[in-house]
Amino acid sequence: MSWLDSIRLAVGGMWHNKLRAFLTTLGIIIGVGAVIVLVSIGQGATHAVSARIETLGTNVVFVTPTAGTPFSERQVATIRAVIPFAVQVVPIVDAHGPIATAVTSGSAAVVGTLPDYLKTGALSLGTGQFFSVDGLSLDPRIAVVGANLVQTLFSGRSPVGQSILLLGQRFRIVGALNPVGQGPGSSQDNTVFIPLTTASTLMRTNQLSQVIIKTASPNQAALVANLLTNFFTNRVGSNGVTVASEDQVLQTLQATRATMTRLLTGTAAIALVVGGIGIMNIMLVSVTERTREIGVRRALGATREDIVLQFLLEAMTISIIGGLVGIGVGAGMVLLAPDWFHTAATLSPMAMVLAFVFSAAVGVVFGLYPAFQASHKDPIHALRYDG
Amino acid sequence: MIHLEHLSKAYPFGTQTLWALRNITVTIAPGTLAAVVGQSGSGKSTLLNILGGLDRPTSGQYWLGGQDVSGFDADTWAHVRNRTMGFVFQAFQLIPTLTAWDNVALPLVYRAVPLAERRARAREVLTMVGLDHRLSHHPAELSGGQQQRVAIARALVGDPQVLLADEPTGNLDTDTGTEIMRLLKHIHQTGRTVVIVTHSSEIAKECNQVISLRDGHMTDGGGSV
Repeated sequence: MSWLDSIRLAVGGMWHNKLRAFLTTLGIIIGVGAVIVLVSIGQGATHAVSARIETLGTNVVFVTPTAGTPFSERQVATIRAVIPFAVQVVPIVDAHGPIATAVTSGSAAVVGTLPDYLKTGALSLGTGQFFSVDGLSLDPRIAVVGANLVQTLFSGRSPVGQSILLLGQRFRIVGALNPVGQGPGSSQDNTVFIPLTTASTLMRTNQLSQVIIKTASPNQAALVANLLTNFFTNRVGSNGVTVASEDQVLQTLQATRATMTRLLTGTAAIALVVGGIGIMNIMLVSVTERTREIGVRRALGATREDIVLQFLLEAMTISIIGGLVGIGVGAGMVLLAPDWFHTAATLSPMAMVLAFVFSAAVGVVFGLYPAFQASHKDPIHALRYDG
Repeated sequence: MIHLEHLSKAYPFGTQTLWALRNITVTIAPGTLAAVVGQSGSGKSTLLNILGGLDRPTSGQYWLGGQDVSGFDADTWAHVRNRTMGFVFQAFQLIPTLTAWDNVALPLVYRAVPLAERRARAREVLTMVGLDHRLSHHPAELSGGQQQRVAIARALVGDPQVLLADEPTGNLDTDTGTEIMRLLKHIHQTGRTVVIVTHSSEIAKECNQVISLRDGHMTDGGGSV
């Protein structure tokens, strides 16, 4: 029997039970679609975060106090004293709260920081200006908004000069940022930047969330990270403050990404195995239903191998068609409906190839047993079978 | 030529052994129209299954075309059947999901004959049995007589030397049965060996060799009529 005939036969077998074949295929479609969507989300989310960190450049060190460790302007002054060669030392206060204009409202991440934040290179100003030291002294109620907020609150029109209600206070917008892309949680595009002292006053705390230190070179960054680690370990113990260079943060992020991808792939693999069990179930039913047909084919000259091939290819046809449609559905969702996932999903060609190979393998693994059962039927009994 | 020598077939039956065929020695010359007759349970179908290689003898020899085929395995038999034999069953045994045309072409699929050639050859034999106007019909859309003619066309499509028919008229009314017998005799006249299992003495009378079985034994030496 030629391969072409075997494939023709397998497709014909599916065609005569269209609904059943479709439902069986659906298991694989969902499995493969899930692999692609989940891996794309996982990779997209971490891509966005790494991209944001990478905008800061390689010569950056992050100092983050652990919850409970007092960390205020005093510590920043100490850092400045310990490393006088730092290009910038920028303290940050993180908050989150409701934001409203006269016509619409929402919520946003709030970052209280110094004008120097712009000089770290992490921000790209679109329109207007960032708050300057002079501006800060004149007016503590000014804000710079991220690109998403310009869209959601001002329908894309320039917000400069408009006022917003933030953390219960009225702020005047002096600038808007260019879009950088999204990450999980509060991304820069969804962030309002306000002067540090204003944020501290409004939140009634002088506790800082993080200090970003920009150095002149990556080597200096490594040096600073070492220096500060030793310094803070002596002062507050090794658990009080985390000092990490951009490299280290990225490494942690990549480890997180790997774990996340493994987790998602594992979940999707389970979905595919369940789909495979569906295929096996249907193939066993099909083999029993077609017992007489198997007897007839054997009587007319089909070898055991011909029968194995017939049913194995039928199982593989189901899983491969399911795999291809699943790739279409998964990729389609990632490309056409990114808003559903609330994060920038990145379509992963590797995930597509893997999902397809895995689905074909599922067809082979779960089609083998029914196919062997079919081929080992005694033709005489099969011809007499009265199903 | 078909030659069986001291051929026996036993089935285990509980603790006992049931002999379906016992010490059968018979020769069916090429071009013979042979009938295998006997009561139900006499071993007729077992004999036909062994002749077609669907079943294996317990002891004795089976020579087919001068070759000892007693020891052939299932897949070798599949090749032998596909190239030298045609089967006709009482229950027609057409595949319900295939058209008459595809049913007839089926044996050629296992001979790896290209599609176009298969279809041409299948059409030829369907025309021969008078069903060229039913090519695209499924078995359920055909009468019993028509289904059996499709089955005969399927048995003939590979141009076999031997045609094995198991009660070919058993599921048909008298007139249709006569028509099918006429067709089988016509096939015999083209020079093929035709072996018909039947319990009808009418049919046996029309054959030039009758193998009579009772409880697995041959009762008359299997000679020509």
